[in-house]
Amino acid sequence: MTEKPIVQIKNLSKTIGKKNIIKNLSLDLYKGQITGFLGPNGAGKTTTIRMMVGLMRPTEGEVFIDGQSIQSNFEESIQKVGVIVENPEMYKYMTGYKNLLHFSRMHKGISKKRIDEVVQQVGMQNRINEKVSSYSLGMRQRLGLAQALLHDPKFLILDEPTNGLDPAGIREFRMYLQKVASENGVAVFVSSHLLSEIELLCDRIAVIQNGELIDIKNVKELNISRYYIHAEPNELALEVLSGAGFPVTAHDKGYLIDTESQHIPGAVNMLVSAGAKIYAVQPHRATLEDQFLEMTGGGQIAETHSK
Amino acid sequence: MEQENKLDHGRFAGCHFVRIDGHYQMVKFSKMGHEEETWQEVAANQQANAEAMLMDPNLSGQQKDYYEGQAAIAEYRLANEVPAFEYTSMQQQVIDAHAMLSLVTLFTVIIAAGIVASEFSQGTIKMLLTRPVKRWKILTSKYITTMIYAILLSILTIAVSALAGLIFFGIGDGTFLVWNGSEVVEGSYWIEALKMAALSFASVWIIGTFAFMLGTVFRSSSLAIGLSIFLMFTGIQAVYLLANYEIVKYYLFTHTDLTQFYTGFMPVPDITMTMSLIVLAVYFLIFMAVSYWTFSRRDVTA
Repeated sequence: MTEKPIVQIKNLSKTIGKKNIIKNLSLDLYKGQITGFLGPNGAGKTTTIRMMVGLMRPTEGEVFIDGQSIQSNFEESIQKVGVIVENPEMYKYMTGYKNLLHFSRMHKGISKKRIDEVVQQVGMQNRINEKVSSYSLGMRQRLGLAQALLHDPKFLILDEPTNGLDPAGIREFRMYLQKVASENGVAVFVSSHLLSEIELLCDRIAVIQNGELIDIKNVKELNISRYYIHAEPNELALEVLSGAGFPVTAHDKGYLIDTESQHIPGAVNMLVSAGAKIYAVQPHRATLEDQFLEMTGGGQIAETHSK
Repeated sequence: MEQENKLDHGRFAGCHFVRIDGHYQMVKFSKMGHEEETWQEVAANQQANAEAMLMDPNLSGQQKDYYEGQAAIAEYRLANEVPAFEYTSMQQQVIDAHAMLSLVTLFTVIIAAGIVASEFSQGTIKMLLTRPVKRWKILTSKYITTMIYAILLSILTIAVSALAGLIFFGIGDGTFLVWNGSEVVEGSYWIEALKMAALSFASVWIIGTFAFMLGTVFRSSSLAIGLSIFLMFTGIQAVYLLANYEIVKYYLFTHTDLTQFYTGFMPVPDITMTMSLIVLAVYFLIFMAVSYWTFSRRDVTA
């Protein structure tokens, strides 16, 4: 990618006491791209995100937003960022609208029209004049999204944004984020535990474990064409398939072969003519979950690192 | 930046004024059974009292000035038939209204302690600190809000005192006299009331700032409120305990009551107004420095 990244994380490290929570993490985020941020509990996702928005100071390293450092040029850089950190906490004794108004005053040049527009976008227009204390978690999430979008940010950073949304809400939220990313060219960074959600939402996935970035993958690359074939007797099927030059791995009761769809009828023919009974032939998608667990070694909680 | 105040504040202030009201009722009824002294008797007593105090060789210069003034005023009243305000008059109540500011301190402490701490406990702090506004500006706006609250509540207190005085007692006869150092002249009781209120405000201000610091540092409003109010009551007692040691001169509560220079009641006689102002300013700077330093450096994990 030759494009200039909107967000650059450079050699970010955080040490609290003697623990190295984040170790030398570098990551670039690009315009119009949705990047998922995955990691087991305690891997340092939230710490990284807090450092990216200036809530925490990195021990070392810097975060640049559109070329400006969040550490030394806070006001200029943060105004391009929309943030939801964990649950969006609002002033419960004020209405949703008053909350938005309150936050909008801290930005430059947000008109009442813009507030109405955002309220419309997140579908809160019917309840916006009620107190936040009467809102459900899902509605608070929507309001949180509204406050993050108020100032038309170039970069959206969301920590667990779909927490508490109903399935329809999650779907709507996903569509909305994808729209914002593709139409407005916003870079989106989403951390979540919901792997299936990340898989549907993101273009790219960054995986963090024990404070280290262990992998960055494009979601498209994950989708290698694979088929699951279950035929009896097993030994015969293995013989035929590997004899035909397919890469074969055992899976469940049968085998997985890595191949394109056009080779499947041929493979079935071969099995039939060899006298095997075919019980199942189906496309197999390795879920992100499988890959995630593979990458993080079972996803156990990071061990404590003391030096 | 606008800080939205909670509705509670109105309620606080409400109780506060009911209390002022109650105070007037009590004053009124407690007077009923008593045999009234004539103003001449009161003035004669005051003069005798002041002269007796002046015999004390341990008096500081300021106390001496004060009692000389008192004696002169009392003498003038008797010689020229100029009575003072009755205690049950609106004017005297206005002059004494500054005593009510200790209640303002109480409410200010509650606001000051909670204004930053509650952002942390509600979790809204992360919303606030991810705006394009530097942390020191946010803290400054919080502090200014607290002080505006304290000032408005003080003004309301004086105004309600005046109003309650007017309703319960009405405007009484009498003249307010001041000693300008060489002679006794007529003074404005409003100016006297405002002067005393402004001096009393120093204590609201410094204890409010202290509570603000505690709330910012510990992020717990209950701790900050508790500690501030505890110190507000015990701190002054400690002045008496420490009175024989040099350190008392640098102790905050020796200096919080600036009205002491105008009432002659000084637990530590050899301090001056200038010294008090300097000590208060130093404490203020320390409280502020601690607040700003912790607030702008803190890693927010709420």
